[in-house]
Amino acid sequence: MAEAKIRSRNLTLHYGNKMALDNVTLDIHAKQVTALIGPSGCGKSTFLRTLNRMNDLIPFVKISGEVLVDNYNIYEDKVDVVNLRKKIGMVFQKSNPFAKSVFENIAYGPKINGIKDKKKLTEIVEFSLQRAAIWDEVKDRLNDSALGLSGGQQQRLCIARTIAINPEIILMDEPASALDPISTSKIEELIFQLKTDYTIVIVTHNMQQAARVSDNTAFFYMGELVEFGRTKSIFTVPSKKQTEDYITGRFG
Amino acid sequence: MERHFEMELEKLNVRLKKMAGIVAIQVNSAMKALMEGDVELAKQIIEQDRKVDKLDNKIDKLCQRIFALSQPVATDLRFIMSSLKINNDLERMGDHAVGIAYKIETLIENREVISLLNLGEVVADLNKLMELMVAIIEQRNVNLVKEIFDLSTKIQFKLQTLSAKIIEEMAKKSEIIVVATNLMLILTQLERIEAYTTNIAESVVFIVEGKLVKHAKLVKENSEIIDFTENIEIGPDTRTHQEEEQ
Repeated sequence: MAEAKIRSRNLTLHYGNKMALDNVTLDIHAKQVTALIGPSGCGKSTFLRTLNRMNDLIPFVKISGEVLVDNYNIYEDKVDVVNLRKKIGMVFQKSNPFAKSVFENIAYGPKINGIKDKKKLTEIVEFSLQRAAIWDEVKDRLNDSALGLSGGQQQRLCIARTIAINPEIILMDEPASALDPISTSKIEELIFQLKTDYTIVIVTHNMQQAARVSDNTAFFYMGELVEFGRTKSIFTVPSKKQTEDYITGRFG
Repeated sequence: MERHFEMELEKLNVRLKKMAGIVAIQVNSAMKALMEGDVELAKQIIEQDRKVDKLDNKIDKLCQRIFALSQPVATDLRFIMSSLKINNDLERMGDHAVGIAYKIETLIENREVISLLNLGEVVADLNKLMELMVAIIEQRNVNLVKEIFDLSTKIQFKLQTLSAKIIEEMAKKSEIIVVATNLMLILTQLERIEAYTTNIAESVVFIVEGKLVKHAKLVKENSEIIDFTENIEIGPDTRTHQEEEQ
């Protein structure tokens, strides 16, 4: 049995009066890919964002319950959110490279974390770009603007930028939804390779993508965790009718 | 509004039921032709085979199309996967019925061997088995599985007894060797038909419950059925691909 990297315990979240997560208890296992699926507004992205406290930025958010990362409650007052987010990186739906060179995009994080040595930075940049499977495509244009890359390349650049901080967990919020099938398959292949070193949690609306990339799948509906299980079980023999209806497209 | 996908599934369902119906008639007719030495009926069975082959292709193509265009999951996935197998089993059953039909003419002489065997009971059982086969496809009622398995075992046993009896008769009268050999082949084909029916029942269990109950020996050795709902607890999949294949 793999050890749980992240444990949410009775996690409830309100946006003002509206309940977005209802008592969610879920274990996310180390070095596996966990997919969060469910219809729009079901709470899956909200849940993802609770894992590195991105919801703190939203006013009127009220959270109860716990999120334990390596058995440590990340909602304790003394937690340094900046350090937390170093450990738990995030990749968004829309790639958002800085208007800087490819090199600077990757080196930015390590630099603000105090790494000044040019040689060390170059090593980190190469390692991160290699790990994000984009090195071969950008190695001759490291000083060109990152904004000149294609959408798929920009997204892999953002993954490389996350890797440069040396995180343990990578959260992905629909990382391939704006990409063409070829770029999508590169991202999916990348996710598959990255799970040897990182714990990955991915939100996706694409059911086939969840089935292809994840080891475990959590199905959310109206803020509740309806079903959580091995992806191969969820997509062949789901145990809850709601899950079956959702994944077969018979919902509502 | 009914979704296009649902319509495709319903079309598959209708075709599968139709195929089951035609094949059941082929098998019943083959046994009737055997019992009554009805060469005309045997010819009709052989002609029917074109229809079965056409339907077999149609079902295969429909499944292929649904897989390619709709990426089915869960019950739908299990239904389409199983439809391919059931279709294949039905087509083979039809072929065996045709195989029997081809032998009817060779049995015109020495028909006393057939009466000697007293086939009535096993024929009645096989007719009942066909009825259950059609019912389980139509209703997807797993409660029929036990009945099918029990009846199959009974038929198997009877067919073995009949084979022994034929050998006994052959030893006594060399003039019946040709007829007796053809009868032995027919018994083998009936045994295959019986076996395909149990396969179909197993496929229906997979559709309804997601459990693999085929290969009785393996099931017995593990003293459990292979269940897709297993491993639902979350942990690493420590099994290697090879182990999983096994």
